[in-house]
Amino acid sequence: MAAFLRSKCPSVGRTLMGSLGNSLFGAANSSVGAVTRPSHCDAISQQIRTFIQMRTNLKVVDNSGAKRVMCIQSLRGKKGARLGDTIIGSVKEAQPRGKVKKGDVVYGVVVRAAMKKGRSDGSEIQFDDNAIVLVNNKGELIGTRVFGPVPHELRKKKHLKILALAEHIV
Amino acid sequence: MRLEKCWFCSSTIYPGHGIQFVRNDAKIFRFCRSKCHKNFKMKRNPRKVKWTKAYRQLHGKDMTKDATFEFERKRNRPERYDRNLTEQTLKAIPLITKIRHDRLEKHISNRHKPGKRKEMEKDSKELDQDIGLLPKKLISNELAVEKPKIKVKVVQQQTEDNAMEE
Repeated sequence: MAAFLRSKCPSVGRTLMGSLGNSLFGAANSSVGAVTRPSHCDAISQQIRTFIQMRTNLKVVDNSGAKRVMCIQSLRGKKGARLGDTIIGSVKEAQPRGKVKKGDVVYGVVVRAAMKKGRSDGSEIQFDDNAIVLVNNKGELIGTRVFGPVPHELRKKKHLKILALAEHIV
Repeated sequence: MRLEKCWFCSSTIYPGHGIQFVRNDAKIFRFCRSKCHKNFKMKRNPRKVKWTKAYRQLHGKDMTKDATFEFERKRNRPERYDRNLTEQTLKAIPLITKIRHDRLEKHISNRHKPGKRKEMEKDSKELDQDIGLLPKKLISNELAVEKPKIKVKVVQQQTEDNAMEE
């Protein structure tokens, strides 16, 4: 049921749920970490998550004006892109008077992926959703802000500007 | 090297183990193994799952209040480096750990005490009440065996006589 709703109105559902999660987090922040409960992440994490491939919809987490981008090409590997990789996408939803508009073909860096990715120390990391930050073909950012957590692996990929603008680095 | 605690079971996570889940509000959930991660995905509350530290502490199974827990905590004030102090601290760590483990063991044995006493009482009561249920032959044999045993220690000849009689 939740998945169905999500597919129907992805942006609205996410923002609503996101705000709910935030408020919950704020309320439970003072208590012990072990007591806080997950709010909205479970419906996503129970699915088997795979690579970001052609027709994957991604949330845009910068202020470039795009809201949703569909992957049309991964610039890495046969199977698809993972955390930190660059993709080419087509803008499916955009805000009016943004830097990009609906139908534009754009480059983007995957800053959050729901698929597990191994880290350099052998542990694994997994995020809530699939999200990208739009860049141009030289790797420079189109927007001027980055929202939400980003992984420190972007440093290895030389996306220092994203790390500098990010709210949280994990 | 940083050792983290598992969000679900509160066990220590050594580098290279487990999985991290990052929620969109940047809260990090660390899990020591897939068992804990799966339980998290099933939305289980660690306070209600019996094998977690949270449950055990909540239900008085483990020792929660002790002076040995006070040493290990995050302090926001930076300490000025002092060689002697560092040396003493390093010496104290294994000692404190040992004391803590001893106290934990004692706590558990203390916790088991009432139950064990009750069991003993129950057993002795059962023995008193139902001794008649045992076959008489067995009881008499036991008694017969017991008596000569005492005699054995006193004089050896008597035992031989007894054996002959029997």
